[in-house]
Amino acid sequence: MSESEAADEPMPTIPGSSGDDSEDSEDFDDSYDEMVDVEATDPRVELEKTTYRTDLGIEMAEDARRVSRGELSSAAYWEKYDDDAATEFGDDYRETPNPAVDRDDGTIDEETAETLGCSVGSMASVAAALEASENAADAESKSDGDGDGDDPRWGMVIDLQKCVGCESCTVACKAENRTPPGVSYNVVLEREEGEYPNVSRTNVPRPCMQCEKPPCVQVCPVSATYKMDNGVVNIDYDRCIGCRYCMVACPYDARYFDFGENYDGEFDEGGEVTSPEYGTDRGPREDGESPVGNVRKCNFCHHRLERGEEPACVETCVGDARYMGDLEDTDSDVNELASSSRAFQLKEKEGTDPNVYYLK
Amino acid sequence: MSTNTHETTAAIGGRRLRFAWYVLLVALLAIGGYGGYLRLAEGLRATNLSSTVPWGAWVAFYIYFVGLSAGAFLVSTLSNVFEVDGMHEIEREALFVAIVSMIVALTFVLVDLGRMDRLWHPFAWRQPLSVLSWEVHAYALYIIVLSGELYFSMRRDLVARSEADDGLRGRIAGLLTLGRTETSEESLETDRTWLKRLGMVGIPLAIVFVHGGTGNLFAVAAARSYWFSALFPVIFITSAVVSGMALIALLYVLRARLGSRALDTDLLERMAALFVGFVVLDASLKVLEAFVGIYSLHPGHVESWLTIMTGEMWWSFWVVMVGLGWIAPLVLLHRRDWRRRPALVAAAGASVVLGVIGTRFNIVVPAQIEPALYGLPTGYYVPSTPEWLLSLGIVALGVLIYTIGTELLPLVPRGEIHD
Repeated sequence: MSESEAADEPMPTIPGSSGDDSEDSEDFDDSYDEMVDVEATDPRVELEKTTYRTDLGIEMAEDARRVSRGELSSAAYWEKYDDDAATEFGDDYRETPNPAVDRDDGTIDEETAETLGCSVGSMASVAAALEASENAADAESKSDGDGDGDDPRWGMVIDLQKCVGCESCTVACKAENRTPPGVSYNVVLEREEGEYPNVSRTNVPRPCMQCEKPPCVQVCPVSATYKMDNGVVNIDYDRCIGCRYCMVACPYDARYFDFGENYDGEFDEGGEVTSPEYGTDRGPREDGESPVGNVRKCNFCHHRLERGEEPACVETCVGDARYMGDLEDTDSDVNELASSSRAFQLKEKEGTDPNVYYLK
Repeated sequence: MSTNTHETTAAIGGRRLRFAWYVLLVALLAIGGYGGYLRLAEGLRATNLSSTVPWGAWVAFYIYFVGLSAGAFLVSTLSNVFEVDGMHEIEREALFVAIVSMIVALTFVLVDLGRMDRLWHPFAWRQPLSVLSWEVHAYALYIIVLSGELYFSMRRDLVARSEADDGLRGRIAGLLTLGRTETSEESLETDRTWLKRLGMVGIPLAIVFVHGGTGNLFAVAAARSYWFSALFPVIFITSAVVSGMALIALLYVLRARLGSRALDTDLLERMAALFVGFVVLDASLKVLEAFVGIYSLHPGHVESWLTIMTGEMWWSFWVVMVGLGWIAPLVLLHRRDWRRRPALVAAAGASVVLGVIGTRFNIVVPAQIEPALYGLPTGYYVPSTPEWLLSLGIVALGVLIYTIGTELLPLVPRGEIHD
């Protein structure tokens, strides 16, 4: 953490340590500190629950505070604790990269870093190495499996009993994917049945079904839309020629053509809004570049899945009616819900086998 | 001196008509050009298409002209493959019409693409499961086959013309001989052999791939039950033959009237009889198709047929498709002596050429009106003004290419001209 940040922010105090720094606007700070103190746990109690030395933990924590206040340099801190940490944490210390030593934006110069016992290298590189070794182990353990590696098969379950028809999923989707007028990856279909007083109303949210056997993929003449190993049906905006055959082939009308319209006049710089899908910034829409002239659709917020987040519609759902997860993972909620007797898929007889399940 | 019909009709009246004809075509091209400008400037926003109805007038015209082409080509095979008497007279005309129709059809495809700059993508990336991917390749191959056939059919006359004429026509004819200027009986026999071979390749190509395949584009879209029927590609072929025959019959009469070419009444009658036969076949298949669909009570079918018969565009079914496409030709040509009257055959031809446009629109649009899921918006589509304007321009482009072709190419076989 940089020094300037440390000076600005009120830090939670460690009881018994230097928590009473006299700064200006004390009343204000104190009121916050008190609020924090109520919630704060006693570090001693917490540390004693572990198998590691409590006194070392407290000492390191206090010095870490000094580092963040700028009273101690990061290099001096790590030189001071290098031996103790190595003794205490052993291999865990030596193999785990230390953020302070992280090559590019670490706070310790390389010379000092070299003298330390902890591992040197970016967190990302070490994480990648760890992942690779895990993958290798996985591949070995299920080499006779169905060959889809450890890719999840993303699936969604929507509980129609929980859906209140508020359409916040539709709004969240538009905000997340910055879809233009006429393009709405998610819509909520409403159906009223019966006559007063015996009337029921069902709301059916409809994202892309990410079919296991997608007719849209079958008809695309240039393979611009394809099924990924993780179950998501993708569109390559750089290849799509805009023939719209996939739209005609989709049994759920889940595909939309981007006619190049913008929310002009509804908010400033409507035409400059970009589409962040698939983690790619494609510049202002006004330029008419793809995805203008392409077919678009829901991709389960692939960019969010990639960073470990749920799709925007799932995250925002006020009734918690949507579930996202790996359909192949027998421990997942979606796997359990999709196999319940309430579960069904839209237009099952089409044979498309959607990865979106509904609960009656 | 020359074989060209237009040169022999150098009468002042003929010249005036020709001038007026070119002025008309250029005017239509200019109007179409404005539509094209709107299409380029606004993209597909210039159309009335939407995400609910993504295919409209341009797709309808595209399949219409593919059908015209396949039909005209099959007429040409009556001469060069099946050796029907007297058909040689119209063989080249039919081949040339088939080529021009494909150019028009593919221009409609081009303007309909969301990203016209990527027209080449289907040749760079393929998808073996996509009917459209196969179609694109079939179209390219088909145009090559047609051009080859026209070459072998015309070569003898091209050689003769390049020798007799020092002007533009002669030079173009010289270039188009591709250097094969020999006119011995042996080399002409080679031409005939290759013409027949290409014709035999062309028949399955035109029937199964080019037009049956275009029907397949729709028939395989299982999501639209109105299209999802194995009879669909068959109907595409029969209505293609109907429209192609109608156009060739119309052109045959028109060109004979405008030029000095004598009309062979026996040939006319033969064409008219075949034509009526195909109109009856086509109409019967469509009635069967409609019966099965409506009888199923499947909402996709019933709704589509209700849209067709009672929707906003009811007239395009009752007046254009049924009236112009079926009833008019059957009335005009039901008597033998009427089939020998050029004016009636031409009128029936013109009527069907227009009527099949209605057929094509009624294929493309109604299936998209009914939403795929209950609760989604119901589709609505009538073509926008820019769509009509650009369509007019593209058709005018085709007519212009055809007209120039008739001026420059020996499309009427030598020796069958009777002055």
